Amino acid sequence: MGTVAIYSLFIINKSGGLIYYKDYGSAGRMDTNDSLRLASLWHSMHAISQQLSPTTGCTGIDLLQAHNFDLHCFQSLTGTKFFVVCETGAQNMEILLKTIYELYTEFVLKNPFYEMEMPIRCELFDLNLAQVIQKDRVALLGR
Amino acid sequence: MIGVGKAKQYANVLDKPLGRGRQEVSLSAFAFLFSEVVQYNQTQVDNIAELERRLEDAGYAVGARVLELLCHREKGNRRETRLLGILSFIHSTVWKVLFGKVADSLEKGTEHEDEYMISEKELLVNRFISVPKDMGAFNCGAFVAGIVRGVLDNAGFPAVVTAHFVPIEGQQRPRTTILIKFAEEVIHREARLG
Amino acid sequence: MATSQKAARLGEEVWKTRVDKVNAELVTLTYGTIVSQLCADYDNDYAQVNQQLDKMGYNIGMRLIEDFLAKSNTGRCGNFRDTAEMISKVGFKIFLNITPTVTNWTADNKQFSLLFDENPLADFVELPDDGRAQDELWFSNIFCGILRGALEMVQMSIEARFVSDVLRGNDVTEMRVTLIRYIEDEMPPDDE
Repeated sequence: MGTVAIYSLFIINKSGGLIYYKDYGSAGRMDTNDSLRLASLWHSMHAISQQLSPTTGCTGIDLLQAHNFDLHCFQSLTGTKFFVVCETGAQNMEILLKTIYELYTEFVLKNPFYEMEMPIRCELFDLNLAQVIQKDRVALLGR
Repeated sequence: MIGVGKAKQYANVLDKPLGRGRQEVSLSAFAFLFSEVVQYNQTQVDNIAELERRLEDAGYAVGARVLELLCHREKGNRRETRLLGILSFIHSTVWKVLFGKVADSLEKGTEHEDEYMISEKELLVNRFISVPKDMGAFNCGAFVAGIVRGVLDNAGFPAVVTAHFVPIEGQQRPRTTILIKFAEEVIHREARLG
Repeated sequence: MATSQKAARLGEEVWKTRVDKVNAELVTLTYGTIVSQLCADYDNDYAQVNQQLDKMGYNIGMRLIEDFLAKSNTGRCGNFRDTAEMISKVGFKIFLNITPTVTNWTADNKQFSLLFDENPLADFVELPDDGRAQDELWFSNIFCGILRGALEMVQMSIEARFVSDVLRGNDVTEMRVTLIRYIEDEMPPDDE
């Protein structure tokens, strides 16, 4: 079976501002301020990692592996970043992130009522995202 | 007014290509353009009712032009004179040319003699659009209502046309109804024609 | 050149397999109504209309670039010549199914022209007969803004402008694109 636990999803704009955050069951340990701060920190770490790279052309952190979670990050050439926190060893997260990127280009960027760089409040994005995540994730109970 | 209402002039009118009407572009191109239409018009108005009106006016020009193009191409310049004829033309031919499919349904209103409805599960123009809650029942389909009004008006069937979201039980997303209310003269003429 | 062929193949493949399509007339008519509205709102001050079209294009470009990147799955271009090929054979191809010709490069490779032998925005369009539009209006000016906005999002500052248009009675429709500079990334500011 391919179902996997996804704990949370972040989307940050090119300036490091959090524009989307969805908690899929990290037991609500993070409030709004936490998530904003985390997004900004990740943005900085991502940029610094490019400086740390021994070779040129490094585009930043793709994967962070911790003891009890993995973090997969996708950055578009424009600097917009999509990252998921998921269970360790989760497969196909890159594909998931690309799919979410496509949903962003469809239901956020083609929405005339969405203002660039601002938090995403697009019903169609939420609906389609839920469908995509549903396919992959397993419900987390009481973690 | 610019090109939308004019055809290119040729030395010999028979040389004028009627347009194969088979060329395609991406849905994205349309979506981005339409998004700009909405955004631009938002900057020109103070309230939602005005935005609706401007979108309808934008659509009206499209409707007028579509009628011109289609009359040449599809019907050999024959004019529709009957109400059901023009409605069917819009529901099938106009919809197919603009949106790639015939409309989901065409119905006569049950309460009023002069009302008809064209409905779609989801208008193409709304495919990527999520209206913020604070805009209430606003529907960018006002553009399509304008197209319909443009066709009807220029075909000799003046009407008031509006777009509405209709919630459907058990469905997350409402469908859209284009409500057409014909002018009295149209109804009377239709009755005379028998 | 190799890049041109690769780009052409990529553009064809994406157009065929990853793009939802609509009748070109829908776009022609919608664009026509945009230009009409602008002419009416700005009292046929075509300089203003050109500017507004450019601004609208810029807004579109900033968003369109992500759609382009998502569909084409492409990495950063190595140089401006590659960028030009991507714009012409992938960009215009996957959105409008046209491939304007890239030509007239300057010796420093910082400026090129796009020649449009087809333009869905301008099909069956005739400029107003007021004696001014022919000299002042750039009907497809939205393209200039789109390129500017899209490329700025991938750290390229460019200038784009039309130099001729068949709608004005010229022989060709030509857009001149100039690279101003690459925009360098900045380090994020230190936390306080």
